[in-house]
Amino acid sequence: MPTLTIDNQTVTVPDGTNVLEAAQQLGIVIPHFCYHEALGAVGSCRLCAMKFEQGPVKGIEMACMVQAQDGMVVSTVDAEAQELRAAVIEWLMLNHPHDCPVCDEGGECQLQDMTIAGGHGIRRYRGKKRTWINQDLGPFIEQEMNRCIQCYRCVRTYRDYCGGDDFGVMGSRNRVFFGRFKEGKLESPFSGNLADVCPTGVFTDKTCRFRSRSWDLQEAASICPHCSLGCSVIPGARYRELQRVRSGINRQTNGFFICDRGRFGYGHVNHPERPRTPKLQGADAAWPEALQLARRRLTDIAAKVGPEAIALLGSPRASLESLALLHDWAKQLGGARFCGDPQPGRDRAARQLTALLGSRARSLEDVRRSDCLLLVGSDPLNEAPLLGLAVRQAARRGARVIVIDPRPVELPCNFQRLSTGPEELPQRLEHLVSTTEPTDDLSTLRTLLHQAERPILCGGGDLLGEVGIRQLAAAADHFGTGLFVTLGGPNSYGAALLSGDGPDADQLCEEMLAGKIRALVCLENDPLADGPQRMARALGKLEFLLILDHAPNRLSRQADVFLPTTTVAEGSGTLVNNEGRMLSFSTVFNPGIPLGISSEGGHPPRSFSPTTAGGEPRPAWAVLAQLRGENQSPEMIRRKLEGRDSRFAGLSLLDPDGEGQRVRGGGHPAGSHDQSFPHPAPEGSLPLLVVEQLFGSEQLASLSPALDAVQPDPQVLLHPETAAARGLKEGDTIALHTELETFSLQLKLNAAMTPGLLLATRLRDTPLELFAPGSPTPCLVGKGGGDA
Amino acid sequence: MNELLPQPEHDHFRAKAAASEHPRELIIDLLRAIQEHHGWVPDEGVELTAEILGLSPLQVEEIATFYDKIFRRPVGRKVIHYCDSICCWATGGEQVAAHLQQKLGIGPGETTADGAFTLLPSCCLGACGDAPAMMIELKLYGRLTPEKIDAALEKEKD
Ligand code: SF4
Ligand code: SF4
Ligand code: FES
Ligand code: FES
Repeated sequence: MPTLTIDNQTVTVPDGTNVLEAAQQLGIVIPHFCYHEALGAVGSCRLCAMKFEQGPVKGIEMACMVQAQDGMVVSTVDAEAQELRAAVIEWLMLNHPHDCPVCDEGGECQLQDMTIAGGHGIRRYRGKKRTWINQDLGPFIEQEMNRCIQCYRCVRTYRDYCGGDDFGVMGSRNRVFFGRFKEGKLESPFSGNLADVCPTGVFTDKTCRFRSRSWDLQEAASICPHCSLGCSVIPGARYRELQRVRSGINRQTNGFFICDRGRFGYGHVNHPERPRTPKLQGADAAWPEALQLARRRLTDIAAKVGPEAIALLGSPRASLESLALLHDWAKQLGGARFCGDPQPGRDRAARQLTALLGSRARSLEDVRRSDCLLLVGSDPLNEAPLLGLAVRQAARRGARVIVIDPRPVELPCNFQRLSTGPEELPQRLEHLVSTTEPTDDLSTLRTLLHQAERPILCGGGDLLGEVGIRQLAAAADHFGTGLFVTLGGPNSYGAALLSGDGPDADQLCEEMLAGKIRALVCLENDPLADGPQRMARALGKLEFLLILDHAPNRLSRQADVFLPTTTVAEGSGTLVNNEGRMLSFSTVFNPGIPLGISSEGGHPPRSFSPTTAGGEPRPAWAVLAQLRGENQSPEMIRRKLEGRDSRFAGLSLLDPDGEGQRVRGGGHPAGSHDQSFPHPAPEGSLPLLVVEQLFGSEQLASLSPALDAVQPDPQVLLHPETAAARGLKEGDTIALHTELETFSLQLKLNAAMTPGLLLATRLRDTPLELFAPGSPTPCLVGKGGGDA
Repeated sequence: MNELLPQPEHDHFRAKAAASEHPRELIIDLLRAIQEHHGWVPDEGVELTAEILGLSPLQVEEIATFYDKIFRRPVGRKVIHYCDSICCWATGGEQVAAHLQQKLGIGPGETTADGAFTLLPSCCLGACGDAPAMMIELKLYGRLTPEKIDAALEKEKD
């Protein structure tokens, strides 16, 4: 821990800190471009000059390249250093156009800030400037190459940190171009980070081009709702419209970057079909009327049939506050049924994880620092993209990465693949820990896991299921490793903690079909899309259906009562991510129909009213409190929850700008349910495995128009051997007959996947949406479309 | 692809790439082979190099555009590289450049109408002792005077 003096102030910093960082700790910010905490220092912009007056280093040096050492005396205000910085800034500005007024970066431009801070105010250069023809880089990123100052942050982010290979730097000396070989969409799922890291207006977010100045945006610290990792994000809204999302900083979770699903999936908030008024059987109604009716019907049913006839179904995308109120309501009603997740497979997996994770829990930061990672049934780039990025950072530091999976998993780093069918995953794990196994293809892996210092077993909840998670946890115990398992949604973990050993949605369906459950309350879920397959039939048996949601919900017209809620960006609350970390988010803006929609591109409507058009959605916790006839605030809910359940201790003190805090204590596995004996698979059938994909699977992001352009086409994958054995070839249209339905898809061959398996992506608004992700279904394959 | 690279060379590079731990190191050799055969490296040449070496076209393009002796645009039958670095500059390099331009009737980066010569400035040719210098294809000409330049051009034009 060296102690040094900078501008007459003494500071002690951890070993390995550079002098630029040390100065930052004292609040002294020296102009710099190429240094970035996540990318490190390369000393290429030559801007961070300081004068080293005493100690082991003497003279003017680039502070980012000098490690802090004991006895250093450094000046940042030294005249010579200042003069050098001003000169360097002037050089960097030589070719920079004077186009700040039409530049989207203006107002949050590091170049503007550093130019002024560096002491360069008046441009003396009168020569011609280097100019470029820009490339069309696809739907996400706008390029304006003339503004480049050659700091190389973009390449270091895209190539080095994120592992993309279709973007880089071309040319030499004062003519370097940062782009692609040819125009076209940036291929990396992390391409949006270019907008965040480029300190100038070369790379900006195309989805909000020419929309707002940063100072006009309402911004607040929030959490990404598009997968279970809970990355820190900063959404920005204006004119009642969510206009963009940029990455927040949480060193324990996402670090500094986010994925393109998280960045460009925000359109669901502004969706024109978003339900914004309470409805009674599809007809618009006023809040008091709708609340009153819902309350009355539920009280009636509770009095007439008993509170067990009411089921309350939560969701992994609902906040902990809403779920806690819903859970509490079940008790208040005197024994109503509560379940936190409409998808039984994911629900049971999450509950199993909460029961086993304990001290084995690891964060994404731990993954980045791990020296050996085994991924089982996990496809990070499709299920939890930032995990893929974390795995890459570990690999860059030399970690070994092994993947056991039936899918043609891709990672932005080298890894070893052990292809294994979905049903064999638990068995594989059993073999892995068995001490009597002879040498097999797992023996090297065992040795690696034993020898590693910081090994972590990563898993995907969808494919592992509750059995697989048990096996993975057993393997973690056996090898003494950490555990990192991704789940279905941003609050799967919180929902699972509250669900405990209560019923799952399958059991609820059963009881609905048996007429035991007469009323169902759905909190921010679409049970027709995400519930068990017999949900549609079960819903028909209900006397009363109440839905609370903010997304266009298939049931919003059919429900007896529909109540519109706010999105994550429009409220505050807490989500518990897949490692049991409670992360709080704050309100970015209040709901309302975006002016861009209500004014249809012209002048905002000239009619005046005391309320905001489309401003009726309320936070789900508030709606639930009103249904219960209570006055609540999120703070009260948090305090109550931590008071009665010590696992949530510290909840009320969480800071949305902080790193969050792990829950204290685990949950329960779901009660065992007699798995009705599976029908024997029909002869000649293949298991159809439907899995999550980066774009198109996650419900909210699939409602974002910005992602339409990258929506994959529905298709089914087969191993070439399996296809050949059945006389099928690439491009064939094949008919898939499942118990659920028959549909046809285009065939694609993939040699990296496990043979003997049909693999398809769970795409929203296609027949594939109805399949539970991760659980194989027997499927007969026929040639040709329709009923072959 | 034969137009870009003769089959034997094609096979040779494929074998070399397969045996190499870092096929990247073959980028320049392969680009030069293509240039040798085709005169310059078109987009397809970059793509072919990438495919043979298992890289992305961008990774090859980064190298191809860094070196000024890999031509990414069509050039004349012969390329003249006149040095514009310090020793040549100090010994009359600017006059050499001016004479060449006037004689050929083209500016730097241009090709004569008959397709005989392309004129390119170059950094130090390593012939500082013989400054001012130029190179036509791989042949070096030093201690240039207008007369020597004229003679060289006469000799090189075929
Ligand atoms: S494009 Fe932006 S990030 Fe990349 S080198 Fe230029 S200024 Fe830096
Ligand atoms: S990895 Fe998940 S939480 Fe993070 S930005 Fe992407 S979708 Fe959002
Ligand atoms: S920040 Fe130190 S040289 Fe660029
Ligand atoms: S400076 Fe011209 S050859 Fe070296």
